[in-house]
Amino acid sequence: MGFWEVTKQLADGFGVTLIIFGITLLCSLPLGLVITFGSMSKFPPIKWLTKTFVWIIRGTPLMLQIILIFYGPGLLFKMNSLPRMTAVLIAFVINYSCYFSEIYRGGIESISKGQYEAGQVLGMTKSQIFFKIVLFQVVKRIVPPMGNEIITLVKDTSLARVIAVAELVKAAENIVSMRSIIWPLFYIGAFYLAFSALLTVLLNLAEKKMNYYSG
Amino acid sequence: MKKKIISLLMCAAMAMGLCSCGGGSDSDSDWDYISGKGTLVVGITYYEPMNYLDENGELTGFETEFTKAVCEKLGVTPEFQVIEWSKKEMELQSRTIDAIWNGMTVIEEKRDQLAFSTRYIKNKQVVITKAENADKYTDTASMAGTSIAFEGGSAGETAITSDDTLKDCKLINCEAQKDALMEVKAGTADLGVIDYVMALASVGEGTDYSDIKIIESVELTPEEYAIGIRLEDTETLAKINGAIDELAKDGTLKVLAEKYGLSDVYALG
Amino acid sequence: MAFLEVKGVYKSFGKTPVLKGIDFTMDKGEVLAIIGSSGSGKTTLLRCLNFLETPDKGQISVNGDKLFDSEEPPYSDREKREKRLHFGLVFQSFNLFPQKSVLKNVSLAPGLHETSGKKLTKQEKKEILKRIDDNSRRLIDMVGLSEKADSYPCQLSGGQQQRVAIARALALNPDILCFDEPTSALDPELTGEVLKVIRELKTSDRTMIVVTHEMNFARGVADKVIFMADGIIEEYGTPDEVFGAPKSEKTKSFLEKSLER
Repeated sequence: MGFWEVTKQLADGFGVTLIIFGITLLCSLPLGLVITFGSMSKFPPIKWLTKTFVWIIRGTPLMLQIILIFYGPGLLFKMNSLPRMTAVLIAFVINYSCYFSEIYRGGIESISKGQYEAGQVLGMTKSQIFFKIVLFQVVKRIVPPMGNEIITLVKDTSLARVIAVAELVKAAENIVSMRSIIWPLFYIGAFYLAFSALLTVLLNLAEKKMNYYSG
Repeated sequence: MKKKIISLLMCAAMAMGLCSCGGGSDSDSDWDYISGKGTLVVGITYYEPMNYLDENGELTGFETEFTKAVCEKLGVTPEFQVIEWSKKEMELQSRTIDAIWNGMTVIEEKRDQLAFSTRYIKNKQVVITKAENADKYTDTASMAGTSIAFEGGSAGETAITSDDTLKDCKLINCEAQKDALMEVKAGTADLGVIDYVMALASVGEGTDYSDIKIIESVELTPEEYAIGIRLEDTETLAKINGAIDELAKDGTLKVLAEKYGLSDVYALG
Repeated sequence: MAFLEVKGVYKSFGKTPVLKGIDFTMDKGEVLAIIGSSGSGKTTLLRCLNFLETPDKGQISVNGDKLFDSEEPPYSDREKREKRLHFGLVFQSFNLFPQKSVLKNVSLAPGLHETSGKKLTKQEKKEILKRIDDNSRRLIDMVGLSEKADSYPCQLSGGQQQRVAIARALALNPDILCFDEPTSALDPELTGEVLKVIRELKTSDRTMIVVTHEMNFARGVADKVIFMADGIIEEYGTPDEVFGAPKSEKTKSFLEKSLER
């Protein structure tokens, strides 16, 4: 099997990887904020429920969560299972929302009380203070840790293969087992490297762009 | 918030469910369930010559054609679903597939998890090694103390652990047969145990494993291939066995076996 | 009737009483200086006036409007927002918005008040924001920073930042402008420029409350001086009365110590 043929087949797998990456990021970024609000809620039941949920999700392997979400309904309740890709996306979005929420929380808590008070004495509402003053400062502070998490997500997408979603690694494994050639398994490293290089550049750009002020 | 509560409840329910697993069969099960949806979802992995993609990317192979022939007789549409081989039982139990049909070896220990169809191939486990070492290993006694790679839970594992002379070898439990091949190729295992059909298809000219040889002089336990289905699906089992019977009688299967180079191991006459 | 009336204000943090019954009044256009050692409750009093803290007991009214009464049920956020606009507050640590330019720091809040939640055409909104921008520039000019309008806070000295903070507080045109130790976080050579701005505001008849450690400034600018100690008003009077002829022993010893420094 030639280089281009393999590349073409791997490109299909890479497409799946990108879909998992993109949708997870798109949904987790806002959902993470919702979870942050939950875990910082002044109403104790919501706060503790959210914190417990985050603890469960962060305390168990993503692989286990994928397996539970996909096989769980059928095994436990004889219900119809979700489509494989849907199960993967649900697991990833929930998992990454929880990780993001903790980063957001750290960022929000690092903003000085003075910023909130300045907004308050200027008669701004809570949401105006958050969205017009605090959020941007939080974003600036969390870009580096978020960058870490996002690069990790690129590689975590390979976990989707535990329920046989043909992402990049699985696509390579399929070639390896069908054609009895091994090199595609190492070749996919180049795909991951190229993609994370692109992300690193974008993240650095974002960081630079927000560096027009300090503090 | 609502989403969170729902997912929380789901998690809690699943955690509870795990403890009280099993039991409870629906009325909508067995053949009614399969014929009701009109498709038989078959769990496969890509593996030549059983189920693989040809040059045009079309799924083909002995099992592929076999599945299609049986489904035609049963009046359902086959749907091929690639699975992770190590999770085949879970796929079956959670009804994400209806049958495992991929050159699966009958393993006695799995009888309480799976129902096996009529055996249609008599295969054997073979030992593979690097060509330059092939002369060193002539019988099982000469293999004592080596490292051996095999697929966890496979017939190969049973073959090794049931052999007294091989019991003290360093055992390398792999996810799949192809990983055992790679262990040998990479030199991380001295020997590999895989099935004959797999070995024939993977080893030799034009593959990355051309430097790997089958040690023909060593014979391990023979094994048989069958289709695996849910234990409670007795009616489905009977129907599939009936179809296999007919296909064996009219010679269809024999022709298929010849087409894919499996005449040596074909078990139904 | 007095412009600001504060009656029987009590405030505790946990079991620690900080304000133990504060009563005073002030007239429109007056400048009131509050002095006292740290922990005497002067900052807490200022924060109560600005609704950053809620008094446990007492009443506060401005110009006859009752702003706070501990007998009434707790106010909603919206009510609090409306009431606190009678006051402006300049913080010790400036608390400028670091990601916003000087102009935006000053114009942000007025812009939000006049546009959010209202049905406006694009044109109307543009006109409002233009008017607010012009007013903001006038205020920035007034505190002597016209050429810094497009700079960011991190590019300014502490004294300049505090002047921006004053312009920001003025942009909402509060009835009473409060200063919480406005020069304490500044290097000594920068305090002068901030005090100069406050002096200028006095000439335009602003009503102001200044919590300060600058005794000379309090004596020179204030119309009335409050000396606070242990959560009560220990001494109240004109600067000449308080600084020249203090009645209380506590005031005397505080002033002696302050002059030594």
